[in-house]
Amino acid sequence: MRKSFLFVVLAAMLALAVIPAFAQETVDVPVWIAFTDENRLGWAQDRAVEYNEMFPQYNVTVEGYANYEELFAATALAAEQGTLPAVVQYFEVATQDARDSGYFKPIAEAIGDRTDINGIAVNFDDFVGPVREYYTIDGVFTSMPWNTSSAIYFSNMTILDAAGVDTPPTTWAEIDAACELVMALETAPEYCWTFPNHGWFFEQWIAQQDEQFANNGNGREERATEVSINNDGSVALLTFLDEQLAKGYLYYSGAQGGDSWGTVDQAFSTQQVAMAAYSSSDTATYTNVGTDNGFEVVASFLPYNEVTGWTGNLIGGASLWLVDGLSTEVEDGALGFLLSINSTENAAAWHQLTGYIAVTTSANELLTEQGWFEENPNFSVAADQLAQSTITTATSGAIIGAFPSIRSVVTQAVDTALLTDEPVADVLAAAQEDANTVLEEYNLLNAE
Amino acid sequence: MTAQAPLLIHVIAALIGAVYLAWRFQRIQVSPALGGMIGAAAGAVGSAIFMLPLNYCTFESERSLIDAVFGVLLIGIGMALVVLPVDALIRSVVMRRRNPNMGGTAQAGAFKGWLLPIVFLAPTLIVLTLFLYYPSLDTFRLSTLLARLGARRTLFVCVDNFTSLVSDGDYLNSFVITIFISAAIVVLGLALALGIALLAYQPIKGARIYRTLLIWPYAISPVVAGVIFLLLFNPTGGIVNYALDNVFGIKIGWLNDPTAAPWAVIIASVWKSLGYNILFYIAGLQNVSKDIREAASIDGANVAQRFFSVVLPLLSPITFFLVITNMTYAFFETFGTIDYLTGGGPLNSTSTLMYNIYEVGITNNDLGKAAAQSIVLFALVIGLTVVQFRTSGNRVNYGA
Amino acid sequence: MATTTASETYPADYVEPVRRTLLPERWYIHAALWVICLIVGFPLFYAVLVATQNNSNVYAYQFLPGDQFENNWNIVMNLANLGNYMLNSIFITVLVTAGKTILSLLAGLAFVYFRFPGKWIVFGFVLVTLMMPTEILVIALFRFVNSIGWGNNYLALIVPFIASATGAFLFRQHFANIPAELSEAAQLDGANPLTFLIRVLIPMSMNTIGALVVIQFVYVWNMYLWPALIIQGQERQVVQVGLRTLVGADVGISFGPLMLGAVIASLPPVIIFVLLQKQFMSGFALGRDK
Repeated sequence: MRKSFLFVVLAAMLALAVIPAFAQETVDVPVWIAFTDENRLGWAQDRAVEYNEMFPQYNVTVEGYANYEELFAATALAAEQGTLPAVVQYFEVATQDARDSGYFKPIAEAIGDRTDINGIAVNFDDFVGPVREYYTIDGVFTSMPWNTSSAIYFSNMTILDAAGVDTPPTTWAEIDAACELVMALETAPEYCWTFPNHGWFFEQWIAQQDEQFANNGNGREERATEVSINNDGSVALLTFLDEQLAKGYLYYSGAQGGDSWGTVDQAFSTQQVAMAAYSSSDTATYTNVGTDNGFEVVASFLPYNEVTGWTGNLIGGASLWLVDGLSTEVEDGALGFLLSINSTENAAAWHQLTGYIAVTTSANELLTEQGWFEENPNFSVAADQLAQSTITTATSGAIIGAFPSIRSVVTQAVDTALLTDEPVADVLAAAQEDANTVLEEYNLLNAE
Repeated sequence: MTAQAPLLIHVIAALIGAVYLAWRFQRIQVSPALGGMIGAAAGAVGSAIFMLPLNYCTFESERSLIDAVFGVLLIGIGMALVVLPVDALIRSVVMRRRNPNMGGTAQAGAFKGWLLPIVFLAPTLIVLTLFLYYPSLDTFRLSTLLARLGARRTLFVCVDNFTSLVSDGDYLNSFVITIFISAAIVVLGLALALGIALLAYQPIKGARIYRTLLIWPYAISPVVAGVIFLLLFNPTGGIVNYALDNVFGIKIGWLNDPTAAPWAVIIASVWKSLGYNILFYIAGLQNVSKDIREAASIDGANVAQRFFSVVLPLLSPITFFLVITNMTYAFFETFGTIDYLTGGGPLNSTSTLMYNIYEVGITNNDLGKAAAQSIVLFALVIGLTVVQFRTSGNRVNYGA
Repeated sequence: MATTTASETYPADYVEPVRRTLLPERWYIHAALWVICLIVGFPLFYAVLVATQNNSNVYAYQFLPGDQFENNWNIVMNLANLGNYMLNSIFITVLVTAGKTILSLLAGLAFVYFRFPGKWIVFGFVLVTLMMPTEILVIALFRFVNSIGWGNNYLALIVPFIASATGAFLFRQHFANIPAELSEAAQLDGANPLTFLIRVLIPMSMNTIGALVVIQFVYVWNMYLWPALIIQGQERQVVQVGLRTLVGADVGISFGPLMLGAVIASLPPVIIFVLLQKQFMSGFALGRDK
């Protein structure tokens, strides 16, 4: 009696387990991104749910990883084990690595001549100029831009106004002048300004001076074989930062806890500094930090070297890459999802949620219509900065192999230049040598 | 010339081995001729174990002097690795044959059979072979390659990964930092622990409670220690600076000052390992026979003299053991603390050898160089242990 | 008066110390010990305190508990998913500790109670691994484990650590100190080695087993570098690496949730230690000398 009952139960469980398998005829489309916060990961997962409802034959799932480096490692691992997903979010400096890895396929190639995928329109021209420029390599639109940002400047206007500074500084000289006034206040903050010691800012300030980061057209004409960290622009930059540190204006965020960005956050929100260079991706956070703590935050263009003038700024962020070798169903499902993520409404909503630039012209028009930029002036700064940038080889951004490693060479050089008495020129020369060795080794192992 | 050079190397090595073993054998009254033959074989084999896989690349004409020097070093190490154990093995066999009663634990209670013990040991041996010995050998192989994860190919670069370390500023820096931080952790950790143990080993009421309260940080992980001290040392919100400011009027940049950052790591690590050290010193102090201490006091020695000339030497086996364990801790397990607390430190001031291996191998994806650094670190650990054995091991006094 | 403590931890010939050497300082000792215990315990005590506060409390150096516990709990458990990490850690730590204990017992049994050719070579083989901490093998181990397909898999966290040279050594020493008559008697009774192990050796080794459990539990629970390398994503990650998600999230570090996470992550090893502390402390005294 007990045995037959057991048998029935087992059979029922088996049936229950099997039935969903039969019912599930959907195609799995795994998407891996490098966000784990509720805000951004949650938004992406919501879009996946929407997409799945519109196209029930697909099952898009979004998985979050702590950061780009981890995602990078996970992707390499999955490639070795043959378990790659359909879409991976790679940050912009890993572009050469992505191309060399062989994991991915350019999106334009996958779309081919089609003008729509399952009814979702294909329109590459809708992308904002610099964005489209950056992600088109060898004339082919390679990856889908998603979270694009630029480096901008946040100012605590409450403090600046008290010091008699009406508008945020636009050049390095103006930073110096503003800091003189700010630090003279009785209630002066501990320091005047800061920035995260991340290679990206170094690249931004170099590009502004129209200096290229690597040879062969910044790596865009041909594979880059040499970097040019040691140029006039970088000497000027480090000399300026050194002076600012010596005067007590610059708060060096160093490598505290390995988290330079967090240090800047803490310094700005506790009003230890009056100004901070930061990524526009945190426009929302920084504006709110002001309102939460009772001071006014105004965003402005990243100050430039008045001696050389301003050429333009780089974009930063990441894009979504399509994995190569997928079956047609999975690929189409992935393509559709990628296109829908940048639909006008979605691109606009993503911008409003985070502060990342609205990557399409139509999204920007929608936001202007809604009066969004009028109500939230800080949010248009990055887009304006990009729109007003002159597109040169320097401001198109560099494509180099082993860029992440080269970035740490740069960060270290900034560390050394600021924290020791070593002459700036020597530091940069040494850094250039180190970076070139890294690049050489990379190319030895990866160049065709 | 190039074809005969390897042969020349082995002939010389065989000669050296033959002479050495012949001399050794003669000292224990075994036929030197036999020693000569075995020594020749051992020498030749030893000189080949590194050179063959490398294909003698260190002596190629394009290579520089330092490569050749390194090559000679490898030959020497290889020879030592073969000749010395052979020597020891044969000596022990000879000794045992001459004194059948010497050594050897009684096996009176042994079970019969030889299959069962193999079965019992099999899982342990398999796991150790696969996951410890094999990766060790593979590390050697990796260290001769230029390799990156995800790259199209790897490249054989002979001993470049090693010779480049000599001129690598970051690497030499991490050497210095490691020695500094480790020495501080060992000295501070043991001194503090001994002092506290002197108070806590006494038979007072509630001794057990005190002991638990002192030892439990042992269970805290290096990561959590790093996290907690990240809070304590924070420049704006940390109470350490708050207290320092109020009492002494100074503020130390624990986490962004290159001279202070190592101390942050040291303090966090000493705090965490204090419990472990105290535990052992208490056990040691309790075992120092009361008779000896009484005898010393009757002899007229005061407390300080008693401590330094009687108790401390009797604690030497414990001290020896703790120096090794703390050194191992400082070399390897501080990684978690450093990663959370300083991330390698402002200006690499907390970038220990282990941390450098991680940065080079994982963050910068240079697997070959990281493997080479691992091997050097391993050699360093073994070297330091041997040195420890030689200096304190001889003086270790196991007491009455 | 001090007899209970004496019988547990002091040599048999220990006698109450004479007044002139120790007694007058006694209350000094208590006071000093209390101060030291407080200093030693302070960091964690402060961490527990901050676990109930938010950042503004921290910057104000508030020494009273705050009211943010629920909020911090929510961030730690729901946003940062610490519960999942804790479960993973518990899972692998328990498995590895159990595995190490069993394998070490078997190894100790094999080394002491059997004769087989090459025994000393095998013993040396095992002992040498004491000098090979996983940290230096990490690069090669990473590649090997990936190549057998265990990347990002629990197996990679469990199997490489399931053999223990420390354990084999400890049990070997311990068993060697047990009189041979016991095993002779057992064999006369017709017991096989496993029964002997289970019925006789294990009950006599509870202290050593307890000590080993504490050491191994703490060791596996506190592993950081290896899980950080071999596990990607959140699903199978352990808590030491998982704490990372609480550091440097959003606008700067939120100390409240971070401390709460750190405290939670420390509970299991501390609890095991407290529960088994008697075994831990005596297991070492026994293993070391005699």
